[in-house]
Amino acid sequence: MNKIAKLFVTFISAITLALVSFTSSFAKVEGEYIVLGSAISLTGKYSSNGVHTQNGYNMAVDRINKMGGVEVQGKKYKFEIIYYDDESNPKRAAQLAERLIKQDGVHYMLGPYSSGLTKAIAPVTEKYKIPMVEANGASRSLFTKGYKYLFAVLSPANQYLEVAIDLAVEKNGGKGVKIAQAFEQDAFSQDVRLGILDAAKRTGSEIIIDDKLPKELNDMAATLAKVKAVKPDVLVVSGHTKGALTAIRQISEMKVDVPMLAMTHCDAAKLSKQHGKKSEFALCASQWHKNLSYKDKFFGSGKKYAKDFQKEFGYDPPYQSAESSAALLVFKDAFERANSFDRDAVRDALVDTEMQTFYGNIKFGPGGQNVAKPMILFQVRCKGDDCENRVVAPTKWASDKFYHPIPKWSERS
Amino acid sequence: MGNIKQKDLILYSGLIILGLAAPYLFSAFKVQLTYLCVLIVLAMTWNLQGGEMGYNTFGNILFYGLGMYLTASVQVGMFFPLAEWTESGGEKTFVHTTAQYFQGIGVGLLVSAIVPAVIAGAIGYAILGLRGHYFAICTLGLGIAAGEIAGGIEIIGAGQGFTTPPFPAEIVDTEARGKFFYFLSFALLIGTFVFVKYIYGSRFRLILNAIRDNEDKAEAMGIQTMKYKIVGWMCSAFFCGLAGGIMGGLIGYIDSTDVAFDGREMGVFMVLMAILGGKGTLWGPVIGATLFHFFKEGLWTLILGWQYVALGVLIVVIVVYFPEGLMGWLREKYPERFGEVIDEKDRKAQVELK
Repeated sequence: MNKIAKLFVTFISAITLALVSFTSSFAKVEGEYIVLGSAISLTGKYSSNGVHTQNGYNMAVDRINKMGGVEVQGKKYKFEIIYYDDESNPKRAAQLAERLIKQDGVHYMLGPYSSGLTKAIAPVTEKYKIPMVEANGASRSLFTKGYKYLFAVLSPANQYLEVAIDLAVEKNGGKGVKIAQAFEQDAFSQDVRLGILDAAKRTGSEIIIDDKLPKELNDMAATLAKVKAVKPDVLVVSGHTKGALTAIRQISEMKVDVPMLAMTHCDAAKLSKQHGKKSEFALCASQWHKNLSYKDKFFGSGKKYAKDFQKEFGYDPPYQSAESSAALLVFKDAFERANSFDRDAVRDALVDTEMQTFYGNIKFGPGGQNVAKPMILFQVRCKGDDCENRVVAPTKWASDKFYHPIPKWSERS
Repeated sequence: MGNIKQKDLILYSGLIILGLAAPYLFSAFKVQLTYLCVLIVLAMTWNLQGGEMGYNTFGNILFYGLGMYLTASVQVGMFFPLAEWTESGGEKTFVHTTAQYFQGIGVGLLVSAIVPAVIAGAIGYAILGLRGHYFAICTLGLGIAAGEIAGGIEIIGAGQGFTTPPFPAEIVDTEARGKFFYFLSFALLIGTFVFVKYIYGSRFRLILNAIRDNEDKAEAMGIQTMKYKIVGWMCSAFFCGLAGGIMGGLIGYIDSTDVAFDGREMGVFMVLMAILGGKGTLWGPVIGATLFHFFKEGLWTLILGWQYVALGVLIVVIVVYFPEGLMGWLREKYPERFGEVIDEKDRKAQVELK
């Protein structure tokens, strides 16, 4: 035991030394740079949306830095972001938030991707009084916990598809419709479901199928078989990127005929590219679309943002990227109005945010959610083999008329 | 425990002092240290089944997840309507007072130790008749099923997840929460270690080993193997439940498949750590968990996106070069340091026989 004990003691002391020397190598909080921290899903089930989020952040950091940075007390600062990979796992995300704050000395956080991960990080940022501007946590339950340091630039999840139900009822002559719905078992999609339940109650609609889909979604044939049998007026599906892809793939394979198909995450899934004509007529909820008429001085209009983004990353920006870029504009604005790096001053400035960005108007409600921006709906429409997302609601920005009902598969070429 | 040698005494008191001082020495690393304690507990309890009894279980994650949900549910349910707390559209905000928070977590942890142990007894009675890989696959199913079921139960938040009560706001010290959970997990670690060490000195361990080495012979010798297998699993469940309860409070958000019944990560990690350190030894899981945690925390972020590839390589290296784990490897190299005396007379006698 003697030697083993010695070995063990040596081991422990080596670790101790390593830790002590590591503790002193804190990242600088200020200097020329304002260091922001973010845990992002680079691997795991949210990896594609995690990358959209990261690209959005990076694009805004480059742009703001290039255009003079952030001016606080007469001095120019640049943004810098420390990223960690949260592996799409809430447990890991909470731990990394702690690490960013305690070990890397980060004082300001950017949100992760997805409601679940934001829910895991929010208690940590709240504990250390770290302002977090997040762009991808839409679950309503985030805004009812009384968090004071959480600010979301997006509309809450329950608003995503409510409009779609209204639209269906309108097309049905104001009478209630029969709804079939299937949602992934996660914080975001379940919140979208609650929104539909509210809308159904309000419009006197009936929910005839109410299925739950597993995480890591790649099969929903059981739900679709039921849909074929009972013929609902509307089919609602939400399950992040994989949900959108799975739904279109299986609906077209099984030739399921529904008059209206409402979904989320169509643009993040690059649906119109990946599935082309099969995805035509799908109605999608979106936080943003490039054709909207909002403007700011950093990115210009939505169209210009989309062009620049395309040039930089090689694909059309989904709304996840746009809202992430907007988060940095909000931070810049708040720093300049606070004219200080004091966390509470920045937090107070964030509370008073009222601005327009290329992504939309931003003003935070008492729970931290963005109350100044409506959700939009677009529909996938094709000309030949070329498919595009066209805004159909609300009417203020609608570029196209909503096409209803979806033709039967037997009539589609 | 009167037979502790003086050298051991120095080692143990040194480690305890280090453990107590750690959150002050490495203040910024409190959360990682808490994780370390919990990981060691999980590895040690897994070792009771996989190492000592020879029953490779992937089901211990079930007790860990149960403990997590139970602690949080009790902590909330004691003072507020649980259904309203977990309802996502709920506009009400409930706030625990300081006393309520600690009472809640205390009772919650108690429940999260007892209930998983009882459930382990019940499930064990049903499935511990299976042997070898049949048992392993069956327990693998347990964890996955539990995750899917929990994801459908509305009162614990279903797919929305369960936000555990925030640490009382009246305690303004931002370090207090970290310290509280660290010391809680450290206490659990000491409790688990003392318990496992006690088992190592008892007849119970010999019976478990007998089951591992040849269950039929053990039974033929009059050992009621089923009884001991169940008791062994219940002991693991007891500590796994506690570990889960602490982690739930620390993470602050429980998701059915990603945090609680996280077989893909925690469930695999506990096996890996025990094997890395050397299963069937007292110190193996401790060293394995420590090394693993340092490897993970130190290298993970340096190789963003490739960490699971690195983990795969690590598993291969362990299995190929250290099939018996680090402790097994050391034991083979330096048998005398493990108190394995090579009896010269006996060796000579053996040689003469040949």
